[in-house]
Amino acid sequence: MTPEFKDPVKPLPPKPSRYGPEPENIKIRASDLKGVVSVGVRDLFSDFPPNIYPSTKGIKAVREATVDALSEVDMSMIESGDSVNILGSHHGFTILGGEPYAEMIKAIRDVLIERTGTEDVRLRAGVGLRFRESDEYIERFGLDKYFDGKAKGVAPIDEGIPIQTEIGTLYGIKKCYDSDWIVHAHNSDVREIHFHRHVDRAVKPFGMSYARLETRSTYHHNLGPRGANFAARAIFNSDFVQKKWTFASFLKPTPAGIAGVDADNDLFALDQRLSIDNFRYYGKILTLLSRIDECVAVLDFQAPIPYVFSAGMIFANFTASSLDIFDLDHPLPGYTWYTESFYGRDEKPLIPDVAPVNPAIKVIVINYAWGGYPSVFWAKSIPTIVVGEWQAEVFRRDPQNVEFMKHALIAEDLETGVEMAMRIAGTDKMIAFDGAPGAMNVSKSLASDLIRMAPEVGGDVERQLLPKWCRQRGIALGEDADVGAK
Amino acid sequence: MRVINMFAEVDPGKCTGCRICEKVCPTVSIKIEGKKKGKATIDLKTCVGCGACSERCQFGAVVLRNLQQPRTIRVELGRVNPKKISDLCLKAKLHPQQVVCFCTGTRAEEVAAAILLGASSPEEISRTVGARTGCKVECIQPILRLLVAAGKELKPVENGWQWYGLTPTIWDIPDSVMKKYASRGFYFKEDRELFAKLLEAETEGGG
Repeated sequence: MTPEFKDPVKPLPPKPSRYGPEPENIKIRASDLKGVVSVGVRDLFSDFPPNIYPSTKGIKAVREATVDALSEVDMSMIESGDSVNILGSHHGFTILGGEPYAEMIKAIRDVLIERTGTEDVRLRAGVGLRFRESDEYIERFGLDKYFDGKAKGVAPIDEGIPIQTEIGTLYGIKKCYDSDWIVHAHNSDVREIHFHRHVDRAVKPFGMSYARLETRSTYHHNLGPRGANFAARAIFNSDFVQKKWTFASFLKPTPAGIAGVDADNDLFALDQRLSIDNFRYYGKILTLLSRIDECVAVLDFQAPIPYVFSAGMIFANFTASSLDIFDLDHPLPGYTWYTESFYGRDEKPLIPDVAPVNPAIKVIVINYAWGGYPSVFWAKSIPTIVVGEWQAEVFRRDPQNVEFMKHALIAEDLETGVEMAMRIAGTDKMIAFDGAPGAMNVSKSLASDLIRMAPEVGGDVERQLLPKWCRQRGIALGEDADVGAK
Repeated sequence: MRVINMFAEVDPGKCTGCRICEKVCPTVSIKIEGKKKGKATIDLKTCVGCGACSERCQFGAVVLRNLQQPRTIRVELGRVNPKKISDLCLKAKLHPQQVVCFCTGTRAEEVAAAILLGASSPEEISRTVGARTGCKVECIQPILRLLVAAGKELKPVENGWQWYGLTPTIWDIPDSVMKKYASRGFYFKEDRELFAKLLEAETEGGG
């Protein structure tokens, strides 16, 4: 039976940023290409939970969910006159345009003031490797005004503070901790599985967005591909952080949309809940993507190369998925910084344990992406076509990608680039990483494959993979869940 | 190795002399002269156009400009005995060909060669091989490990925020900690074995 295809879902329009091309240059999107259709996430997997956003209630639903989740949280440690830093991260602002995350943060502030009587509530929003990115979001969503001038983006090169941990001294960003109390305001989606391997996912920002460069370097060079996120746990567990700790509030996306908000004083209990959900929902999407046999990947979103999305899954995870990257028995997925660092001068792995970059990705076409993340590895590993001089210039002017264009070709327009890519790849299967909400924009040929493979993937995840992933992390499924495992 | 194709330029009309650019510059190429109302000045001989200054300037006073004639900084490995390079890297528990800076593609061996030729701080290493001048974040620890392995004393830039100090590695994690978290998904024992295998992989200098 021939499946019915849906019209492509339109991605968000390009946004101005110091890290990307001028939006007016991005005239055609992958979803505009002839033959592109969309596959709804719920058409693939019917068990995904309902959305609170997007929904008919609009953004109000996120505020209501936040207030509701916080109603069960203890805030009695905060007294009137105390200072509170809400710690946030850039990534939340890239989910569904950023408004849901911004609204959750605003709601946290309002609840804090109402319940504790304190008015000294600040926002400290961390970043990845684009030090002004959170400042751009603070301005876009009016957060500085909302926080009475007390909202700031913070970066890993800002002034630091030493933190004594059970493995030794690590370093945090001083501005994150310049308050009596801290609130951890984050998002639960999987994001960089290749880095954290979904071990302590909820804790990660303590070793990343809120951490100094020394800690982040420890994460990516010192602790190993499966131990990296211990940098985060070590900092979170420190007396220094615990004395300031109050609670966490997490926006809960699934590949289909925003499913709700979860909050808890116990971060590890929250982590275990979100882990099971992520294995169940994102696990199915990633497993499905990892079974694609061949494709051209079109990157078309306002984020650096690794962070462009399709059905909530970032491109870096797709490139890493030459094997099951949730499975901790595999030390080195096709992409992590440990993987990249283990390639020798001859561009071959120094040891046989290094998995190849996902061989299903035959060609990358970059229609729209930011700089601000070291990406030469991908251009060296996979034939890469960049659309337009304006996009090439983004990479040439990026200190993290000075040599990127040495390894990439330039096409004058997207149609030509994709046509060329398909000829090189010998396939007409195409997937767009364009952040389309709740769906994947793909070629008809790939849509057919995804629809055909999804039922088996769903069964495999539920029956075999989800229990294994949980077992490897000491997470019990069901009513006897071992929550609060510290 | 690093291709330098940009340089930083200060707009004195916007500069407030707040010193943040001075504190974050990985090559220590910025100075604020005078205690009051000083303006940032950039030494273009050592500026590599990394953008740390422009990224952290809250006043938009520093911008990156294209360099008309791009130049390359590197240390030729042939200038140093390969055995010495290999020995230093392995002492720091790094494979010589291991990439330490993802932005510039700098390998441990080039950093080691720079140290063996006299570089004694991360700032000097950045000026000679370009590491730490892309993202400015991820590669500080392997560089510090190589400096310590070479017997160099680590001295952060006075009043600077460039870097503070060495942090633990997987080799420093106590057995009790490894055991405590083994069932929570932290595969330290297995990752140690992985690193050991890497260090045993063949190197040009032997070892």
